[in-house]
Amino acid sequence: MIQRHILLFFISLFYVSAAISQVENDTIKIKEKYGIRIGVDLSKPIHSIFETESKGFEIVSDFRFLKNYYAAVELGVIDKTTNEDYINFTTKGSYFKVGINYNAYENWVGMNNEIYVGLRYGLSFFDQTLNNYTPNVKGTYFIAETLEPNTQFSDLTAHWVEFVFGMKVETFKNLYLGVSISFNNLISTTDPENFKNLHVPGFNRVFLNNTGVGFNYTLSYLIPIIKKNK
Amino acid sequence: MKKNLILMALLFLAILSCEKDDICIEDTTPNLVLRFYDNENQTDVKQITDLTVWVINYDSIYVNQSLDSISLPLDLNQNVTTYILANNLVNDTITCSYDRNDIFVSRSCGYKTTFDNMQIESYTTNWIKNININNTLIDNDTTAHITIFH
Repeated sequence: MIQRHILLFFISLFYVSAAISQVENDTIKIKEKYGIRIGVDLSKPIHSIFETESKGFEIVSDFRFLKNYYAAVELGVIDKTTNEDYINFTTKGSYFKVGINYNAYENWVGMNNEIYVGLRYGLSFFDQTLNNYTPNVKGTYFIAETLEPNTQFSDLTAHWVEFVFGMKVETFKNLYLGVSISFNNLISTTDPENFKNLHVPGFNRVFLNNTGVGFNYTLSYLIPIIKKNK
Repeated sequence: MKKNLILMALLFLAILSCEKDDICIEDTTPNLVLRFYDNENQTDVKQITDLTVWVINYDSIYVNQSLDSISLPLDLNQNVTTYILANNLVNDTITCSYDRNDIFVSRSCGYKTTFDNMQIESYTTNWIKNININNTLIDNDTTAHITIFH
């Protein structure tokens, strides 16, 4: 009885080793695509449908330079009017962001999806126009009249860093849908006299401690340039 | 790795959502603060037992009150405000003139108006004996800007 078991054990060992060697022989060469991906941010045109006082356009692009690393660029223009309780102002300008994404997602064979973290440096050139304001006064004894100075503050700049978290999914061949959220921190900005940059193109709303948040929904197309073995 | 990233993103969101720049908590347009002193002994504060105050053509600000200092709004749409101070039904009129400056405060507060070059254009002396301007710049309402001797 024991002898039979030992024999069976050795036979199975042989089979296992044979199976392993077979897998090694079967290996197919898997190609991964490297190229430039170009797309647009869909959230901004959608936003302008619901908010008529906000117009914007953004082009996004990235380039895979290492297996898990992508160089990324975003270019955009913004024309947005913000209405607060006591002020109304328009921000108009363009911005540029450059940085890298690190893909933390381990794809299955043949898949090209990403869950990534990224860093960006952002730079913006813009104008602010103070359309109108109402001096803030306690009580209702004297009601302040709304003033319309239409003061334009030109040649303003701002630069900042962003921490990006997002994902991209290949929906059709070479066509990607992406979503990302970014946490922004203003490095510096040229504030207008007797006013403040409360909105910066690309950075969005500037919160009290110079932080901001951004949201992107992109559609992009990959132009494959080279295919590398995995 | 993935779980950590999601956690980090949520943490950032939580921090951002704590921002409170939607509520105006800063000081806005200041009031003009007047303090009443004894004309005989000019370092002594002298209370008014029955004081009623209003701006000409406006509602009353104080009615029949016993006070030693008052805080009055300045007309921020004009460069002049005329107050009527009634002490035990005896009226006196004070006309103040000033320049206005609108100073940016914050997103939620917008602009506040501060007043500069405060001057007493004219005043009647039915019960008021003398008026002294302590500060021609009204940019806060913590200290008295005008002293009234009676």
